Amino acid sequence: MSTIPINLEWLSDCSGCHVAIVDLHEKILAVLESVTIQRCPVLTDVKDYPKAKLGLVSGAIRTEHDRHAAIEMRKSCDLIIAWGSCAVYGGIAGAGNVHSRQEIIDAVYTGNKTTGTHTPPTREVSALEPSVSPLDSVIDVDLYLPGCAPHPAFVFDALLALLEGRSPRTATGESVCARCRRKMEKSDVDRIRKNSEGVPDPDRCFLSQGYLCMGSVTLDRCMSPCPLNGIPCSGCAGATMQVLTEPNRDIRTEIAERMSRLTEIPREAIVREIERTAKTHYSYTMATPMIGEKPTFLIQKWTDEERDDYEQDHNH
Amino acid sequence: MNKTITIDPVTRIEGHARVFIDLDDAGALKAAGLVVNELRGFEKILTGMDADRMPLVTARICGVCPTAHHLAATNALDNAAGVEPPPAAKLLRELMYMGHLVHSHCLSLFVLQGPDLVLGLDADPAIRNVVGVVQAVPDIAKKALRCRSIGQKINELVGGRGTHPVTSVAGGIAFVLDADRERQLNAWIQEAHGLVLELAPVVKQLLMKMLDANPAMLEQWVIPAWSVGTVKGDGTIALVNGEIRAIDESGARKAQFPTADYDTHLSESAVEFSYMKQVSFVEGETRHDYRVGPLARLNVSDRYGTPLADQEREEFVRTMGRPCHANALQPYARLIELLYCTERAQEIMASPEIHGETRVPVKFSGGRGVGHVEAPRGTLIHDYEIDENGIVRAANLIVATQQNYALINTMIAQAATSHVINRPDDQALLNAVEFGIRCYDPCLSCATHALGAMPLEIVVNRAERPHVIRRNC
Ligand code: SF4
Ligand code: SF4
Ligand code: SF4
Ligand SMILES: [Fe+2]
Repeated sequence: MSTIPINLEWLSDCSGCHVAIVDLHEKILAVLESVTIQRCPVLTDVKDYPKAKLGLVSGAIRTEHDRHAAIEMRKSCDLIIAWGSCAVYGGIAGAGNVHSRQEIIDAVYTGNKTTGTHTPPTREVSALEPSVSPLDSVIDVDLYLPGCAPHPAFVFDALLALLEGRSPRTATGESVCARCRRKMEKSDVDRIRKNSEGVPDPDRCFLSQGYLCMGSVTLDRCMSPCPLNGIPCSGCAGATMQVLTEPNRDIRTEIAERMSRLTEIPREAIVREIERTAKTHYSYTMATPMIGEKPTFLIQKWTDEERDDYEQDHNH
Repeated sequence: MNKTITIDPVTRIEGHARVFIDLDDAGALKAAGLVVNELRGFEKILTGMDADRMPLVTARICGVCPTAHHLAATNALDNAAGVEPPPAAKLLRELMYMGHLVHSHCLSLFVLQGPDLVLGLDADPAIRNVVGVVQAVPDIAKKALRCRSIGQKINELVGGRGTHPVTSVAGGIAFVLDADRERQLNAWIQEAHGLVLELAPVVKQLLMKMLDANPAMLEQWVIPAWSVGTVKGDGTIALVNGEIRAIDESGARKAQFPTADYDTHLSESAVEFSYMKQVSFVEGETRHDYRVGPLARLNVSDRYGTPLADQEREEFVRTMGRPCHANALQPYARLIELLYCTERAQEIMASPEIHGETRVPVKFSGGRGVGHVEAPRGTLIHDYEIDENGIVRAANLIVATQQNYALINTMIAQAATSHVINRPDDQALLNAVEFGIRCYDPCLSCATHALGAMPLEIVVNRAERPHVIRRNC
């Protein structure tokens, strides 16, 4: 049987997307039968970029090395999958974009509480780029597979689909709510609660209880494990298709709309709270210049305002 | 003219890490080390976020040991809020962790070191990988991979997810154990324990065979250093809660302290050629290099506290001594921990307390929270400053691999001295560096990543004529 050559690469990331693929458990054999893994930093020792039909790239562009590797992958592969939220949106590393490169270096090397030295590394390492960028800001991407990490079932399906020349079956446009079993019910809750406040009711929608769950605006690439296990969704897979494609929908207004209908909390108060905690609620997608049609530069502004408020409060 | 030798990439971590060796005109060693080439800057990224998010966001530091970060973060948050999670929550967190360690240790033993053990250090690199192991000993390999799978499944059933678990929160665990989960967990734990019992003697035998064939591993590739790990009050090993203990090269106890005091004992310093900082143990005016991880934990603790692990530990101490500084025995210590994990998981399931309430409410009223765990590769510390609104204002992290970093670099320098400078023996250099680094199993995403056998390329610049030693796998 002829097999399809594939290359895998990781850029600035946690390697979780690669580890998650091992969690296909027994099914991994089915994948391995139909592909020939060439370059793959976890499994093989191929150092260059051989020609491949398919390339999976995880991770964001943080260093000059990342940019170079992304370009090499594009040159060597017919199709490129942006694999995981880091590649699609910049992921958690992108939350560094509200800080300058210098602020990051300072936090680690020059002003770190347990670090006795005060100089950053000066040789051998690749320079950090001024900011973190998602993969498609550097190369063309053919398929996006967000999720942090995407559930192995989606990776499996995406691979098989591409190999069989069909479109992926599991990767629907549904939100995390679709698999969540909590009930959206009208309540008289009149205040937003922090996730750690109180002990949530296991059967009721978090929004009904005053917790900011991101499930309704987040694409399901994970099988909704958080709300099924007592934790509000924190949006690690990025926005749903509706948010991405419909100009009048937006993460904060969508949540505010729904939550204000379910509770006594005013819509405006919810919008304001999400803006005030922007770094918490947009953590995984902040490096992308646009979420769908909506520019994200406001996130930077909201985060700066919150930090200024804090510094003002604490400096006198 | 200076000479530079570069080993690139060190492991299957190209772009993330490589090794270099610099010689001066006279051929003497100038500098050598492991270059870690990634920096995401979590200490800055975390600031300005809700403290509640720490267990979720810090897991993304490392996809290889996310559960360690997840739990170190919740320990820190419990301390910041001044709450004590209910007993059931503590047991469930520990159970999640036992699953994670089974997964992680099996990956290290069978995927990373398995090829050396089964096929020998001098086997053809083309087959010296996990596929080669599967072909050579299909039955053992299948059981080992199954065992890893079960570990991850336990982690997932308790943690909600395998990679990047979510259920541990400030104040406890976000769900209550039901009968279905309990049944499934018991079945998996039994199966994993059975597999570990079958695998342990095989691994041990392979390891001993390798040591017999390579006596240098126990005679020359030994770096005496301090050891740091975590123990309970009575000296029993502790992996998710406990005090940090340090011993010196001879085994004398030098310090034992609660997590929050780590900053008076440990000092980081930047390395000019790497994004990863190294850490030393401060004793007055002196700074000591130290090791962390399974071997260090065996060195510092007095017992594991479960029968089979303690029986094997006695055998280890009798034959190898304690403290032990032979890195080649790291897999042996890891194997004993694997036994401990499946034994401890059974104890946890048998404990009646596991059925109680799992969560207490939490409020952050401003202050510092420090927490730690023993990650698969060693002590992992999270330290947050949280304001009165529950927002993280400053964060400091010390990860396992950083603490072994000084010793990794010493080892590379030793290998360079013995194998390059007076004896340009290419193959021996490759083996020594590769084996030495792999013994520390450096997790470089906690700085980035290392899995698997090593493709090495060494460029030796002698009199400006580059000589390339390459091993293509
Ligand atoms: S998307 Fe998430 S799991 Fe994947 S590499 Fe990025 S941080 Fe890790
Ligand atoms: S908003 Fe959250 S809790 Fe509510 S239904 Fe959606 S996923 Fe479930
Ligand atoms: S439920 Fe939300 S936070 Fe949890 S894994 Fe899915 S997208 Fe990520
Ligand atoms: Fe790690």
